[in-house]
Amino acid sequence: MKISKRRQVLALGGLAAFAAGYSETAGRMVGKLLGKDAPKHKTAGDAPEPEFRIDRKGNLEVNPAQQVSYTTCLGCTTMCGVRVRIDRTSGKVLRVAGNPYSPLSTDPHLPMKASVRDSFVAISGYKGKGLDGRSTACGRGNAVAQQIDSPYRVLTPLKRIGPRNSGQWEPISFEQLVKEVVHGGNLFGEGPVDGLAALRDLKTPIDPQQPALGSVVNQVAVLSSVNDGRENFARRFFQKAYGTINFIGHGSYCGGSYRSGSGALFGDMKAMPHCKPDFSNAEFVLFVGTAPGQAGNPFKRQGTLVAKARSEGKLSYVVVDPVLTHADNVASGDRGRWLPIRPGTDGALAMAIIRQLFETDRIDRHFLSFPNAELARQNGEPSFSNATHLVVVEPKHPRERRFLRASDLGFELPEEQRYKEGDAFVCLDEAGQPVFSNQAKGACQLLVDSVLTVGGKEVRVKSALKLLQEEAMRLDLPAYAAACGIPADTLAALAQELAAHGKRASVIAHGGMMSGSGFYNAYALMSINALLGNINWKGGFVANGGGFKDNGEGPRYNLDSFPGMVKPAGTPLGRNVPYEKTAEFAAKKAADKPYPASAPWFPNAPGLTTELLPGGISGYPYALKALVLWSSNPLYGVTGLRNKIAKDLADPKKLPLIISVDPFINESNAYADYIVPDSLMYESWGWVAAWNGVPTKAMSARWPVIEPKADKTPDGQAIGMETFFIALAKAMQLPGFGAGAISDPEGQTYPLNTPEDWYLRGGANIAWLGKEPVADATAEDIILSGVERIRPLLEKTLKPEEVAKVAFLLTRGGRYQPGKDAYDEENPEWMRNPMKAMAHLWNENLGAAKNSLTGKRFTGCATWVEPSFADGTPVGKIYPAAQWPLQLVSYKSALQNPYSIGATRLLSLHPENPVLIHPADAQRLGLEMGDLAEISTPTGSLKARVMVHAGVTPGVAAVEHGFGHRELGARAHRIGKAQQPENKHLAAGVNLNDVGLIDPTRPDKAPWVDSVSGAAVRNGLPARISRA
Amino acid sequence: MNHPVEILGFAREAAWLPWAVQYFFLIGISTAAFFLSLPGLVWRLPAWQGIGRRALLAALVCGLTAPVALLADLHQPGRFLNFYLHPNLGSWMAWGSFFIPLYLIGLLLYAWLCLRPQLAALAERGGQLSALYRRLAYGGHDSPGAIRAAAVVGALGALLILLYTGMEVMVVEARPLWHTPLLPLLFAVSAVSGGLGMVGLFEALIGQGAAAPLINRWQERSQWLTLGLLAAWLLLAVSGLAASPADALAAMRGSLGWLLSAAWLLGTTALTLWLARSRRDVLLWPALLALHGAWLVRWMVFMGGQNMPKMGASTHIYALSLSPDSVLGIVGMAGLCLTVYIILTSIIPWDDRAEA
Amino acid sequence: MSSHPDLSRRAFFTALPAVTAGLAVPAQAAEDSKPHWSMLVDTRRCIACQACTMACSMENASPEGEFRTVVATYAVSTQEGKTGLAVLPRLCNHCEQPPCIPVCPVGATFKREDGIVLVDGERCVGCAYCVQACPYDARFVNHHTGKADKCTFCSHRVEAGLLPACVETCVGGARIFGDVNDPQSDISQRLKAAEGKTRVLKPEAGTNPHVFYIGLDDQLSGRVDGVSAADMMWRPGHQGG
Ligand SMILES: Nc1nc2c(c(=O)[nH]1)N[C@H]1C(S)=C(S)[C@@H](COP(=O)(O)OP(=O)(O)OC[C@H]3O[C@@H](n4cnc5c(=O)[nH]c(N)nc54)[C@H](O)[C@@H]3O)O[C@H]1N2
Ligand SMILES: Nc1nc2c(c(=O)[nH]1)N[C@H]1C(S)=C(S)[C@@H](COP(=O)(O)OP(=O)(O)OC[C@H]3O[C@@H](n4cnc5c(=O)[nH]c(N)nc54)[C@H](O)[C@@H]3O)O[C@H]1N2
Ligand code: SF4
Ligand code: SF4
Ligand code: SF4
Ligand code: SF4
Ligand code: SF4
Ligand SMILES: [Mo]
Repeated sequence: MKISKRRQVLALGGLAAFAAGYSETAGRMVGKLLGKDAPKHKTAGDAPEPEFRIDRKGNLEVNPAQQVSYTTCLGCTTMCGVRVRIDRTSGKVLRVAGNPYSPLSTDPHLPMKASVRDSFVAISGYKGKGLDGRSTACGRGNAVAQQIDSPYRVLTPLKRIGPRNSGQWEPISFEQLVKEVVHGGNLFGEGPVDGLAALRDLKTPIDPQQPALGSVVNQVAVLSSVNDGRENFARRFFQKAYGTINFIGHGSYCGGSYRSGSGALFGDMKAMPHCKPDFSNAEFVLFVGTAPGQAGNPFKRQGTLVAKARSEGKLSYVVVDPVLTHADNVASGDRGRWLPIRPGTDGALAMAIIRQLFETDRIDRHFLSFPNAELARQNGEPSFSNATHLVVVEPKHPRERRFLRASDLGFELPEEQRYKEGDAFVCLDEAGQPVFSNQAKGACQLLVDSVLTVGGKEVRVKSALKLLQEEAMRLDLPAYAAACGIPADTLAALAQELAAHGKRASVIAHGGMMSGSGFYNAYALMSINALLGNINWKGGFVANGGGFKDNGEGPRYNLDSFPGMVKPAGTPLGRNVPYEKTAEFAAKKAADKPYPASAPWFPNAPGLTTELLPGGISGYPYALKALVLWSSNPLYGVTGLRNKIAKDLADPKKLPLIISVDPFINESNAYADYIVPDSLMYESWGWVAAWNGVPTKAMSARWPVIEPKADKTPDGQAIGMETFFIALAKAMQLPGFGAGAISDPEGQTYPLNTPEDWYLRGGANIAWLGKEPVADATAEDIILSGVERIRPLLEKTLKPEEVAKVAFLLTRGGRYQPGKDAYDEENPEWMRNPMKAMAHLWNENLGAAKNSLTGKRFTGCATWVEPSFADGTPVGKIYPAAQWPLQLVSYKSALQNPYSIGATRLLSLHPENPVLIHPADAQRLGLEMGDLAEISTPTGSLKARVMVHAGVTPGVAAVEHGFGHRELGARAHRIGKAQQPENKHLAAGVNLNDVGLIDPTRPDKAPWVDSVSGAAVRNGLPARISRA
Repeated sequence: MNHPVEILGFAREAAWLPWAVQYFFLIGISTAAFFLSLPGLVWRLPAWQGIGRRALLAALVCGLTAPVALLADLHQPGRFLNFYLHPNLGSWMAWGSFFIPLYLIGLLLYAWLCLRPQLAALAERGGQLSALYRRLAYGGHDSPGAIRAAAVVGALGALLILLYTGMEVMVVEARPLWHTPLLPLLFAVSAVSGGLGMVGLFEALIGQGAAAPLINRWQERSQWLTLGLLAAWLLLAVSGLAASPADALAAMRGSLGWLLSAAWLLGTTALTLWLARSRRDVLLWPALLALHGAWLVRWMVFMGGQNMPKMGASTHIYALSLSPDSVLGIVGMAGLCLTVYIILTSIIPWDDRAEA
Repeated sequence: MSSHPDLSRRAFFTALPAVTAGLAVPAQAAEDSKPHWSMLVDTRRCIACQACTMACSMENASPEGEFRTVVATYAVSTQEGKTGLAVLPRLCNHCEQPPCIPVCPVGATFKREDGIVLVDGERCVGCAYCVQACPYDARFVNHHTGKADKCTFCSHRVEAGLLPACVETCVGGARIFGDVNDPQSDISQRLKAAEGKTRVLKPEAGTNPHVFYIGLDDQLSGRVDGVSAADMMWRPGHQGG
């Protein structure tokens, strides 16, 4: 036999090809030989053994290889109570479900007195208990446990190498971190940097010419996200011990406009109280720019309650939204309806409803007519409004647009108390006589337009309700309809439906208010509730039950104050104070040109991250010297901010020191000089109240149900926000930390050296609040709930009598008021935990304030204004629809949140966020499902895939939020010698905020915000789309 | 636009990978080639003798490689033991696991019996391998009776293989493209054209080309049959007389991919037919086209059939990739065939000069 | 301190096996009859949150991108141009006449007396014939194991007296699981209450599913004649992934 060379080559080639093709199979064959082919379990495959077993009699047997603990989810800001199932050997979280004691996860929730054993039975199949008492975690809540083991976690302190944002880091020791951050020096070979010690200058003014700005310490700002149950610890350090006034959360780019609108209604535009529908008993709810089941706070609880109420209860609802959301469900027929709206025009919808309520005389006159809380209650109303209070409308009067007060009518008051709380309002009683609001004996007149003699002068006054009515009557229904794109008869029908259900109807809003007219849209929508008289009614508009305060001057420990505590002072960098009180105003006024200010001021807003960064970097009103980002990601979350500051942020000369405390590298702290690891979700301590939407008191516990993964400090504590701040405090010898920092009512003192020192004592405060302290946890509770793991810490830290009570809270994952306590004992139609604030149909602080760019006054009641820029110029004037035919809006993903992208199981189900456009627009633009399109706004453009369906208002392009990441794994960083893994899928999709607008009317050319609330504008961005 | 739009959906990827296409393709060709060898090698019809040798070679090359592809689709070749330890006789696939060895035993026996005299002759020639040839020849007798008996076993195995490969796919009601009695027929007919193609190819490579008209005549017939079956399917589908074809057609409607594939299949089938008919002396082109057709039918049936969603609107279009389960696998199988071909043709001459 | 519980190590071990006999019988089963497990999905209560999808994926440690259950979500428009959201939670139907079983060449897939259709992973050869035969696309070949995989009704949990993971965590309360042989069970009661209004997927397939639906949308109960946004997206765990 002879085989030619050529044939040999061919044969070998064939064989090689075969080998390559068959390699995988061959590998598997070897696997089999090595015994890898057998499943873990014959039929259950890779599923771990169940955590416990329950038999037909309800007996429980636990699996000792696993731990089941109740703690809190941080998969979104809802922060539900959850049960975490852990493999004891590996410490790996196997799965997460709900905590049956928590109303955020369970409806109805289990009473605290149920033992842990009972709680396990309650979620089991035993007698179908687990169906009725179902306790859940949402899709994200299930998947985010994956992030614990993420390869992108920061586990050791990092210091940047090379320029900012270059993605290169050097791991450093905790000691080095603290030393450098405190003392500064030539840290990066770029010249000297002031450390935190030098910057904690409480005496030297930032600018001697402007003492109102405060001292140098204010040049250190701290940005946090949401109160995750740990914020007060951070505030204790940075505000009470360190002393800066600039510590703010994410409110201004969360739902700031809505909160401000609600704050206007309830008369507090700093704390901004708000209500939610009483889902369980509501008959009709109008959701405007917030969709239950899609997102919202509490995301899961709302979803559960709405699903139940629409299928088995009495609820029907309408969701007004430019986008079709998960609130809709065709199977429930007309119980839930979607009403598309043009972005940013909700004020028109609201004012149309208000007008219609007036015109058909369906306002709740009874409720509105009582001018104080007491009188209202006596007359069967659990809340009250200022509808009857009189407002000075006399032009040029010094009190113009403010309420007429008792002192104006000669009531004697010390000067400093005038126009404050004790200075009553004035109403007209039914006989037409002026009466002080706190002295009225009966209903007062509702619609007043009259002239009173005040201080010997004739002064024209109108009641708050009258002013609102006039504002509503300014336009007719067709005009409102034209503005919002909803037919006039639909608007009228909505008013009728709301009125028909009265106190069991309500109007709620949230993120959809983040438009260029968001504040007034929200105020108008919230005002409808007052007109319906639904506040504090069962089935109506109800307050959050609140929590149990852990960190106040509590019954066991004083976690509030301490000797040497600083009271931060000065002007906040967010400029949320009146411009008219600044030195700049005085100077400009002297020059006879008081307006415009160099950048807008927001006297009726809370702290503003939106404004802090652009201002602090450009030095207006003063410059930032150090920025601390704690679990905060403004560059990803604030619309348009990246365009404005990313370049400057990279320049250490503009902002010398950036420190971040975060478990991940995000879009913002990628610019940091130092990143300090923080505990992630189930590793953390904390006490956290429900954000809203739970009518009973609820305080969820966070405790390290798993060992924190981060490296340890020299004394063996896991590195995190608390241990870092404690070390900083000690290094700078600040008060409030270390030995003797905590006191109890008996005057004994205790140290604050570890997180447990704080949180466990906070737990003791919670345990002892209320009529009587909570019960003791049993040994069995402690063992079954895994609290056993940290029992030594409890025993070491707490007084002996406190151990079992704090353990009681930890074993149950918090403290929760029983569900039946939602309603008032005496009057079951009223809520037990009421909204105490008066409903403000006219808000004088608002009405008297002026736009700092134009000097024009703001309207003091609900009104409809079209989306506008800072100086009041309507958006369409500058960016006409002819050139910018589409409007971009943003909506929250039902699956993702802004930082869950690393939960790859979520991503594997829903891998990206194509931009949604209506088929009519698609046709016009020649776009089809899946096409790549270029989306441009006046400030930027991005490339995105389009999704086409009719679930969006024509003329709108909708972007699901949570994608388009540049960090959180989307970019692989180099840490020391190690390179993070590449995973391009984490960068999938787009982020609307990358094309956010710069407001062309602002002298400082900063991102577009609502001119009253200062909140980011992410809805209704003028845009155009073309095929890419 | 009143069609629902799936905002979040999910499609299963194809569970039968190109390995399955390869297996069905190879085993089909092998059986067809086996039958094509019978007139020449069993009945010793002179016109078929050359064809018979090339057909036997084709049956061997494809028959030896097909099971390798099949095992690959099991994800874990060692698992095949379970087929014999726990057979479920209600499943066509279980039967397949018996038919394959039956056929292969028949085929190998038949081949050996046919080749014995030639092996003996090779041993006579001397050389390094003559001892091996001698042992293989085991006497070297030409035993027509034994050949006939082995052919019966092989033919039975081959028939059962054609039956089970068709039935196995046909019974899957959940896949409308598969669930039609026309499918086993189509598989069988296209196996024959593939077999003719392979024989034609070998004829072109090894033989004298004298058999070309004969092969092409049969090729023409089988292409006509293929067209007929396709037409029958279309008729059933369009008329709605049979539910599954109608369903399948509905699922294809509006898909450019299907339109192009169908057009390609029909076009190439017609071209093969035309070539076989009008260029009776040409071997290579109709052979390659016929092989391509037989392969394409299986690709479209398997990969296309699995693309049609059973639930929802999402399709998981199978995309060829450079992974072992895809292009590499296909190339790998071709490589194996080539290697086997080279080995077989190296140890035994298959041309007409060598005596049978 | 008397109120201070005894927290010794010993207590740990004494508390754990505080069990009585009879744990073999799952908690949901009725006293006298053999259970027959089924699921009822009330689509009106589904908010498409995919908690079920994710819980299942975690519980069963499924490979990423391969799901035993998914809640398909659709934008559907009426003739009048009104658009709404429709959902379809999908999983194995644990059919009474399951076409996946007879095809299995090695008898690895089987239906238990309690109605649950399972795959014996020790015997399965990964031939995927059952995957082809299932009319509901409920099955797949698991990328990790190379064997048939599908919803097990979480039999390992059900046997332990627990609920399936997807049911436990169903945020809308849309998934009801239980024993249809027990007239007192939640599912029996609800099925009775919904008499005549429950439906199954592809009844024409003759599979007799034991996953029942309330509010099932006709156009979604099989292959959907429409477009899918999923088609344009990257698919994890698949080629090029
Ligand atoms: N276009 C658009 N923009 C938006 C929104 C939108 O819908 N559309 N939504 C807005 C809303 S409502 C909000 S609230 C903001 C949110 O924006 P931010 O509050 O700035 O931040 P997040 O991105 O939610 O999370 C901040 C950081 O928290 C860290 N983190 C996550 N889990 C943990 C943990 O367990 N422990 C600790 N210590 N840190 C953790 C993450 O690493 C992340 O970097 O974005 C807003 N931006
Ligand atoms: N699934 C999920 N849940 C979450 C979160 C999450 O990330 N994912 N985040 C949590 C957080 S931090 C928050 S603040 C809440 C926010 O919860 P929501 O406020 O309810 O959510 P958003 O998506 O911010 O906005 C609500 C809706 O407003 C619509 N919208 C946009 N523009 C307009 C408009 O001009 N008018 C009207 N009427 N509607 C408009 C959007 O389409 C969107 O559906 O959700 C919390 N829950
Ligand atoms: S709603 Fe938010 S907090 Fe609650 S389980 Fe889901 S992700 Fe976690
Ligand atoms: S749904 Fe499919 S896998 Fe499940 S039992 Fe029915 S046929 Fe079998
Ligand atoms: S994949 Fe496994 S269970 Fe399915 S048919 Fe094949 S052997 Fe049976
Ligand atoms: S029953 Fe278990 S396996 Fe089946 S879908 Fe639900 S969680 Fe997944
Ligand atoms: S968990 Fe329940 S409500 Fe959520 S998607 Fe699944 S079935 Fe629907
Ligand atoms: Mo938020």
